[in-house]
Amino acid sequence: MSFEELEHTADVLMRVRGATIHEIFADAGRAMFHVMYGPCEDRGVERHLSLEANNLESLLIDYLSELLFITEVENTVFCTFDIDLRGTRLSAVLKGEPFDPARHSAGTIVKGISYFGLEIVKEEEGYVVEIIFDI
Amino acid sequence: MLTGINRIGDLEWEVPIGYVPNMRVPGRFFLSRTLAETLEEGAVRQLANVATLPGIVKNSLAMPDIHWGYGFPIGGVAAFDMTEGVISPGGVGFDINCGVRLITTPLTEADLAGKKRELIERLFNAVPTGVGAKSTLRVSNKELAGVMVDGARWAVERGLGTEADLVRCEGEGAMPGADPEAVSTKARQRGVPQIGTLGAGNHFLEVQVAKEIVDPEAAKAFGIAEGQVCFMVHCGSRGLGHQVATDHLRTLESALAKYRIHIPDRQLACAPIDSPEGRAYYGGMACAANYAWANRQAIMHETRNVFAQMFGIDYDEMRLIYDVAHNVAKFERHDVDGASMEVCVHRKGATRAFGPGAEGIPREYAAVGQPVIIPGSMGTSSYLLHGTATAMQKTFGSTCHGAGRVLSRSKAKKEVRGKELREHLAGEGILVRAHSDSALAEEAPEVYKPSREVVRVVHEAGLSNTVVRLEPLGVIKG
Repeated sequence: MSFEELEHTADVLMRVRGATIHEIFADAGRAMFHVMYGPCEDRGVERHLSLEANNLESLLIDYLSELLFITEVENTVFCTFDIDLRGTRLSAVLKGEPFDPARHSAGTIVKGISYFGLEIVKEEEGYVVEIIFDI
Repeated sequence: MLTGINRIGDLEWEVPIGYVPNMRVPGRFFLSRTLAETLEEGAVRQLANVATLPGIVKNSLAMPDIHWGYGFPIGGVAAFDMTEGVISPGGVGFDINCGVRLITTPLTEADLAGKKRELIERLFNAVPTGVGAKSTLRVSNKELAGVMVDGARWAVERGLGTEADLVRCEGEGAMPGADPEAVSTKARQRGVPQIGTLGAGNHFLEVQVAKEIVDPEAAKAFGIAEGQVCFMVHCGSRGLGHQVATDHLRTLESALAKYRIHIPDRQLACAPIDSPEGRAYYGGMACAANYAWANRQAIMHETRNVFAQMFGIDYDEMRLIYDVAHNVAKFERHDVDGASMEVCVHRKGATRAFGPGAEGIPREYAAVGQPVIIPGSMGTSSYLLHGTATAMQKTFGSTCHGAGRVLSRSKAKKEVRGKELREHLAGEGILVRAHSDSALAEEAPEVYKPSREVVRVVHEAGLSNTVVRLEPLGVIKG
């Protein structure tokens, strides 16, 4: 996994690293589902998603917010995020399983994605972003 | 201890203009020396950031449970001029109208002897909790519009409570100006299956006992006596509120350039109160706030039914003392420099605490002031207080909302084991029921500031006065 939880008193602060922006988006999704449900498997549920925004940071927030909506209304838990990114236009193929309270109760509800301090930064070997999940 | 801030009273501190660039007014917060030792620089910076927003009146304020959030600090309060000022979801939070209500029962601890475990189990089964919980209430899309406009009244009209409950809610359980048009289809889709559910995180349904009466006269007015078993509901507007906040935050963020508003943190995205974007946010937020009041009303109803069935008591014998919101923005009148002024008060992790005689509190409590309910963390005391004239003068009638965290969730999970915590609390007579032990660890008592210290500060600072201390007997966690 290329995400780590950092110290934050009120909420969950995740640092996500990736060699590419695609990886940043995929691992940000994985990090959020980890916070919400704990472990998850691909059991044949597949969902497609397309989004567009003005910049990458807004796109990341919109994408994670959309995932929150989908998981809640469709009762699905995703573990694989196949990302196609053209500029600030995103298409994603999400894979996972139906929500099962017996196996997915290790986490907590994410209420929203904060804009606070969210910036995708280019590093020597890839990208990094820190995301606050309000829980 | 942090530098750049000034202690201006025993419990009062000032963040001077210049702490961050472009502050329009000074910041002010209330904290004891002990609590100041754990104050985070990030929280003070967020308090100062709020002071840069257009139309802020008097001070950017924070209560003694101040800690680092996003946008406003948690514990933050700010009022904005209705003409020059702004409205911001960052001053309310994603969980719009997260709040608390306290209900008395005619029972004593002795009545619960030998039945406590069964009571907690039955409550856990009656009130859907945790991640993925769905309601047993069937609500159509059309009915949801009624929930969003009428709030707690919608629930009472559906038979989930009594008329008397309504006057004992802040704003009688509904905010005016709710605009269902400002609530997206997505928010509605999330709201329909969740009404009457507790949620997760720090939300709870707790059975308590009134352990110590600090102010007998006020306790009498509030209808609570020593030894009385009570229950407390702490939750908010669920996915509907989260989606309203998300949708409008995006709109307001895009509108910043249009109104030439410069902010130091995108989470403080805002718009003039009387702009199309500002009005839409207010209208959507009011819908979510009303949903939350209906939600707490529905949970109270289920809980009353369980108590009535198990102990043979009447539904009407379980009296709601009060229901308060602690994440909301409201239009209120306050005295500012000797003149009455209408302002938009944002309270993010802060509770309204109107003093005696203030407009908008139930007539039966007018002589004492508005009841203020401060939930403890699992295993620690909760408090019932009353609002004061000092709060009206200093904090736009506001006080703290809870204990305030001192330990991150990741650290909590490393230091606390949920199973051991559950067993330890059971040893102290506090039964805890949750879907997972790891969720329990994140909400362990030691991750919060001691609630008694936070309450001591608001009491001594005169922002609200302690009436009753309540101890937990059993908790249902999300």
